[in-house]
Amino acid sequence: MSAAQPVIDRLRARIGTPGPPTTAVVEAGHLKAFAEAIGDSYPRWLTEAPPTFLVALAPVTAHLPEAEEYGKGWLNGGNRFEYLEPVKVGDAITAIGKLVDVYEKTGSSGNLLFIIFETEYFNRHGRTVARLRGTAIRR
Amino acid sequence: MNIEPGHELPDLIKHPTTRQLVQYAGAQGDFYEIHYDQEFARSVGLPGVILHGLLKAAFLGQLVTDWLGERGTLKSFEVSYRGIDVPGRPYRCRGRVTSVVGGRAELEVWGEDPEGNRTTVGTAVVELTA
Repeated sequence: MSAAQPVIDRLRARIGTPGPPTTAVVEAGHLKAFAEAIGDSYPRWLTEAPPTFLVALAPVTAHLPEAEEYGKGWLNGGNRFEYLEPVKVGDAITAIGKLVDVYEKTGSSGNLLFIIFETEYFNRHGRTVARLRGTAIRR
Repeated sequence: MNIEPGHELPDLIKHPTTRQLVQYAGAQGDFYEIHYDQEFARSVGLPGVILHGLLKAAFLGQLVTDWLGERGTLKSFEVSYRGIDVPGRPYRCRGRVTSVVGGRAELEVWGEDPEGNRTTVGTAVVELTA
Protein backbone atom coordinates (compact mmCIF):
# COMPACT_ATOMS: atom_id res chain seq x y z
CA MET A 1 0.00 0.00 0.00
CA SER A 2 1.27 3.43 -0.95
CA ALA A 3 2.30 5.85 1.80
CA ALA A 4 -0.14 8.22 0.14
CA GLN A 5 -3.10 5.91 0.78
CA PRO A 6 -4.70 8.11 3.49
CA VAL A 7 -4.70 11.09 1.11
CA ILE A 8 -6.16 8.96 -1.66
CA ASP A 9 -8.84 7.61 0.68
CA ARG A 10 -9.83 11.12 1.76
CA LEU A 11 -10.12 12.23 -1.86
CA ARG A 12 -12.03 9.11 -2.85
CA ALA A 13 -14.56 9.81 -0.10
CA ARG A 14 -15.54 12.92 -2.07
CA ILE A 15 -16.23 11.13 -5.35
CA GLY A 16 -19.69 11.86 -6.69
CA THR A 17 -20.52 14.67 -4.28
CA PRO A 18 -21.26 17.84 -6.26
CA GLY A 19 -19.38 20.94 -5.21
CA PRO A 20 -21.13 24.26 -4.57
CA PRO A 21 -22.63 25.83 -7.72
CA THR A 22 -20.91 28.95 -9.03
CA THR A 23 -22.66 31.36 -11.37
CA ALA A 24 -21.03 33.91 -13.66
CA VAL A 25 -22.24 36.12 -16.47
CA VAL A 26 -20.41 35.94 -19.81
CA GLU A 27 -19.05 39.46 -20.21
CA ALA A 28 -18.00 40.99 -23.53
CA GLY A 29 -14.74 42.27 -22.05
CA HIS A 30 -13.84 38.84 -20.72
CA LEU A 31 -14.61 37.17 -24.07
CA LYS A 32 -12.41 39.73 -25.81
CA ALA A 33 -9.55 39.29 -23.32
CA PHE A 34 -9.79 35.51 -23.64
CA ALA A 35 -9.83 35.53 -27.46
CA GLU A 36 -6.82 37.88 -27.45
CA ALA A 37 -4.97 35.68 -24.96
CA ILE A 38 -5.39 32.57 -27.10
CA GLY A 39 -4.63 34.59 -30.25
CA ASP A 40 -7.93 33.77 -32.00
CA SER A 41 -9.37 36.75 -33.86
CA TYR A 42 -12.44 35.02 -35.32
CA PRO A 43 -15.14 37.75 -35.09
CA ARG A 44 -17.79 35.37 -33.73
CA TRP A 45 -15.88 35.21 -30.42
CA LEU A 46 -16.79 38.82 -29.68
CA THR A 47 -20.30 37.65 -28.84
CA GLU A 48 -20.03 33.86 -28.44
CA ALA A 49 -17.78 31.69 -26.29
CA PRO A 50 -14.91 29.99 -28.18
CA PRO A 51 -14.52 26.23 -27.54
CA THR A 52 -12.48 26.36 -24.32
CA PHE A 53 -13.84 29.60 -22.80
CA LEU A 54 -15.98 27.96 -20.12
CA VAL A 55 -12.85 27.00 -18.17
CA ALA A 56 -12.31 30.73 -17.63
CA LEU A 57 -15.83 31.33 -16.39
CA ALA A 58 -15.80 29.09 -13.34
CA PRO A 59 -13.10 27.13 -11.54
CA VAL A 60 -12.47 23.90 -13.42
CA THR A 61 -11.51 21.88 -10.38
CA ALA A 62 -12.91 21.86 -6.90
CA HIS A 63 -10.33 23.17 -4.49
CA LEU A 64 -8.57 20.05 -3.25
CA PRO A 65 -6.03 21.08 -0.60
CA GLU A 66 -5.56 17.47 0.48
CA ALA A 67 -4.41 16.54 -3.04
CA GLU A 68 -1.48 18.90 -2.61
CA GLU A 69 -0.14 16.64 0.13
CA TYR A 70 0.66 14.23 -2.71
CA GLY A 71 3.75 14.88 -4.85
CA LYS A 72 5.04 18.35 -5.56
CA GLY A 73 3.22 19.65 -8.58
CA TRP A 74 0.12 19.56 -10.77
CA LEU A 75 -0.07 18.58 -14.43
CA ASN A 76 -3.08 18.64 -16.69
CA GLY A 77 -3.60 15.22 -18.28
CA GLY A 78 -6.46 16.04 -20.61
CA ASN A 79 -9.82 17.68 -21.15
CA ARG A 80 -13.04 16.73 -22.86
CA PHE A 81 -15.67 19.28 -23.82
CA GLU A 82 -19.20 18.49 -24.91
CA TYR A 83 -21.33 21.30 -26.35
CA LEU A 84 -25.13 21.26 -26.24
CA GLU A 85 -25.99 24.93 -26.78
CA PRO A 86 -23.94 27.97 -27.72
CA VAL A 87 -22.91 30.24 -24.85
CA LYS A 88 -23.28 33.92 -25.65
CA VAL A 89 -22.43 37.26 -24.14
CA GLY A 90 -24.89 38.12 -21.37
CA ASP A 91 -25.66 34.49 -20.52
CA ALA A 92 -25.60 33.63 -16.81
CA ILE A 93 -23.93 30.24 -16.56
CA THR A 94 -23.94 28.05 -13.48
CA ALA A 95 -21.20 25.45 -13.08
CA ILE A 96 -21.40 22.43 -10.81
CA GLY A 97 -18.34 20.22 -10.52
CA LYS A 98 -17.66 16.88 -8.90
CA LEU A 99 -14.87 14.36 -8.55
CA VAL A 100 -15.56 11.23 -10.54
CA ASP A 101 -12.44 9.16 -9.91
CA VAL A 102 -9.13 9.19 -8.05
CA TYR A 103 -6.41 6.59 -8.55
CA GLU A 104 -2.67 6.14 -8.38
CA LYS A 105 -0.45 4.88 -11.20
CA THR A 106 3.21 4.05 -11.33
CA GLY A 107 4.89 5.96 -14.14
CA SER A 108 8.44 5.92 -15.48
CA SER A 109 9.43 8.77 -13.16
CA GLY A 110 7.59 7.58 -10.04
CA ASN A 111 4.03 7.48 -8.77
CA LEU A 112 1.32 9.73 -10.12
CA LEU A 113 -2.08 10.53 -8.70
CA PHE A 114 -4.89 10.90 -11.24
CA ILE A 115 -7.88 13.02 -10.28
CA ILE A 116 -10.79 12.94 -12.71
CA PHE A 117 -13.44 15.62 -12.42
CA GLU A 118 -16.54 16.63 -14.33
CA THR A 119 -18.21 20.00 -14.52
CA GLU A 120 -21.68 20.59 -15.90
CA TYR A 121 -22.65 24.07 -17.09
CA PHE A 122 -26.29 25.25 -17.04
CA ASN A 123 -27.98 28.34 -18.44
CA ARG A 124 -30.54 30.42 -16.57
CA HIS A 125 -33.33 28.13 -17.80
CA GLY A 126 -31.64 25.16 -16.15
CA ARG A 127 -30.67 23.56 -19.45
CA THR A 128 -27.24 21.98 -19.71
CA VAL A 129 -25.17 23.95 -22.23
CA ALA A 130 -21.86 22.09 -21.90
CA ARG A 131 -19.96 19.46 -19.97
CA LEU A 132 -16.28 19.32 -19.20
CA ARG A 133 -14.25 16.35 -18.05
CA GLY A 134 -10.70 16.84 -16.89
CA THR A 135 -7.79 14.77 -15.68
CA ALA A 136 -5.58 16.51 -13.14
CA ILE A 137 -2.34 14.77 -12.21
CA ARG A 138 -0.24 15.17 -9.07
CA ARG A 139 3.39 14.21 -9.50
CA MET B 1 -18.49 20.82 -49.51
CA ASN B 2 -15.13 19.14 -49.41
CA ILE B 3 -15.50 17.37 -46.10
CA GLU B 4 -14.66 13.72 -46.51
CA PRO B 5 -12.48 11.15 -44.74
CA GLY B 6 -8.79 11.84 -45.20
CA HIS B 7 -9.28 15.55 -45.82
CA GLU B 8 -6.56 17.50 -44.01
CA LEU B 9 -7.26 20.74 -42.19
CA PRO B 10 -5.05 23.72 -43.01
CA ASP B 11 -2.23 23.88 -40.44
CA LEU B 12 -2.43 26.51 -37.74
CA ILE B 13 0.97 27.58 -36.48
CA LYS B 14 1.06 29.42 -33.17
CA HIS B 15 4.02 31.29 -31.71
CA PRO B 16 3.50 31.22 -27.93
CA THR B 17 5.60 33.62 -25.85
CA THR B 18 6.03 34.13 -22.11
CA ARG B 19 3.90 37.26 -22.57
CA GLN B 20 1.09 35.13 -23.99
CA LEU B 21 1.33 32.73 -21.02
CA VAL B 22 0.83 35.62 -18.62
CA GLN B 23 -2.01 36.99 -20.73
CA TYR B 24 -3.64 33.55 -20.80
CA ALA B 25 -3.13 33.03 -17.05
CA GLY B 26 -5.06 36.25 -16.48
CA ALA B 27 -7.82 35.50 -18.98
CA GLN B 28 -8.41 31.99 -17.67
CA GLY B 29 -7.73 32.81 -14.03
CA ASP B 30 -5.12 30.03 -13.73
CA PHE B 31 -2.28 31.47 -11.70
CA TYR B 32 -0.30 28.27 -11.16
CA GLU B 33 3.31 29.50 -11.09
CA ILE B 34 4.71 26.90 -13.53
CA HIS B 35 3.32 29.11 -16.32
CA TYR B 36 5.16 32.36 -15.45
CA ASP B 37 7.76 31.85 -12.71
CA GLN B 38 10.93 30.23 -14.14
CA GLU B 39 12.44 29.49 -10.74
CA PHE B 40 9.26 27.89 -9.43
CA ALA B 41 8.88 25.83 -12.60
CA ARG B 42 12.43 24.46 -12.22
CA SER B 43 11.81 23.72 -8.54
CA VAL B 44 9.10 21.23 -9.53
CA GLY B 45 11.31 19.51 -12.07
CA LEU B 46 10.32 21.34 -15.25
CA PRO B 47 12.82 22.85 -17.71
CA GLY B 48 11.26 26.27 -17.15
CA VAL B 49 7.80 27.76 -17.62
CA ILE B 50 5.50 25.65 -19.80
CA LEU B 51 2.36 26.23 -21.84
CA HIS B 52 -0.98 25.66 -20.12
CA GLY B 53 -2.52 22.45 -21.43
CA LEU B 54 -5.74 24.39 -21.88
CA LEU B 55 -3.94 26.97 -24.02
CA LYS B 56 -2.87 24.17 -26.35
CA ALA B 57 -6.48 22.95 -26.28
CA ALA B 58 -7.57 26.46 -27.28
CA PHE B 59 -5.11 26.38 -30.21
CA LEU B 60 -6.58 23.07 -31.38
CA GLY B 61 -10.09 24.41 -30.92
CA GLN B 62 -9.15 27.32 -33.18
CA LEU B 63 -7.72 24.89 -35.73
CA VAL B 64 -11.14 23.24 -35.97
CA THR B 65 -13.34 26.35 -35.83
CA ASP B 66 -11.16 28.27 -38.35
CA TRP B 67 -11.55 25.37 -40.75
CA LEU B 68 -15.25 24.79 -40.06
CA GLY B 69 -16.29 28.45 -40.20
CA GLU B 70 -20.05 28.77 -40.61
CA ARG B 71 -20.39 25.32 -42.20
CA GLY B 72 -21.32 23.60 -38.97
CA THR B 73 -21.06 23.39 -35.19
CA LEU B 74 -18.52 21.87 -32.86
CA LYS B 75 -20.27 19.21 -30.75
CA SER B 76 -17.43 17.71 -28.75
CA PHE B 77 -13.73 18.11 -28.39
CA GLU B 78 -11.25 16.00 -26.43
CA VAL B 79 -7.51 16.41 -25.90
CA SER B 80 -4.75 14.56 -24.04
CA TYR B 81 -1.57 16.33 -23.08
CA ARG B 82 1.30 13.94 -23.79
CA GLY B 83 4.25 16.26 -23.41
CA ILE B 84 5.22 19.68 -22.23
CA ASP B 85 5.83 22.67 -24.49
CA VAL B 86 7.79 25.79 -23.73
CA PRO B 87 7.30 29.35 -25.02
CA GLY B 88 9.55 30.66 -27.77
CA ARG B 89 9.03 27.61 -29.98
CA PRO B 90 6.41 27.41 -32.73
CA TYR B 91 3.49 25.10 -32.07
CA ARG B 92 2.00 23.48 -35.15
CA CYS B 93 -1.66 22.42 -34.96
CA ARG B 94 -2.84 19.82 -37.44
CA GLY B 95 -5.95 17.80 -38.11
CA ARG B 96 -7.63 15.42 -40.45
CA VAL B 97 -11.18 14.19 -41.07
CA THR B 98 -11.46 10.54 -40.01
CA SER B 99 -15.13 9.85 -40.77
CA VAL B 100 -18.28 11.50 -42.06
CA VAL B 101 -21.57 9.85 -41.15
CA GLY B 102 -25.02 11.39 -41.47
CA GLY B 103 -23.97 15.04 -41.30
CA ARG B 104 -21.45 14.45 -38.52
CA ALA B 105 -17.74 14.50 -39.11
CA GLU B 106 -15.11 13.16 -36.77
CA LEU B 107 -11.65 14.62 -36.81
CA GLU B 108 -8.34 13.76 -35.28
CA VAL B 109 -6.35 16.78 -34.17
CA TRP B 110 -2.89 17.15 -32.74
CA GLY B 111 -0.25 19.70 -31.86
CA GLU B 112 3.39 19.22 -32.74
CA ASP B 113 6.57 20.73 -31.37
CA PRO B 114 9.32 21.74 -33.87
CA GLU B 115 10.76 18.18 -33.71
CA GLY B 116 7.43 16.77 -34.82
CA ASN B 117 6.53 15.23 -31.45
CA ARG B 118 2.76 15.11 -30.96
CA THR B 119 2.61 16.68 -27.52
CA THR B 120 -1.17 17.11 -27.61
CA VAL B 121 -3.52 14.66 -29.31
CA GLY B 122 -7.26 14.70 -29.55
CA THR B 123 -10.47 14.28 -31.45
CA ALA B 124 -13.37 16.53 -32.37
CA VAL B 125 -16.90 15.93 -33.61
CA VAL B 126 -18.64 18.53 -35.76
CA GLU B 127 -22.22 18.64 -36.97
CA LEU B 128 -22.40 19.91 -40.54
CA THR B 129 -25.09 22.35 -41.56
CA ALA B 130 -27.24 20.78 -44.28
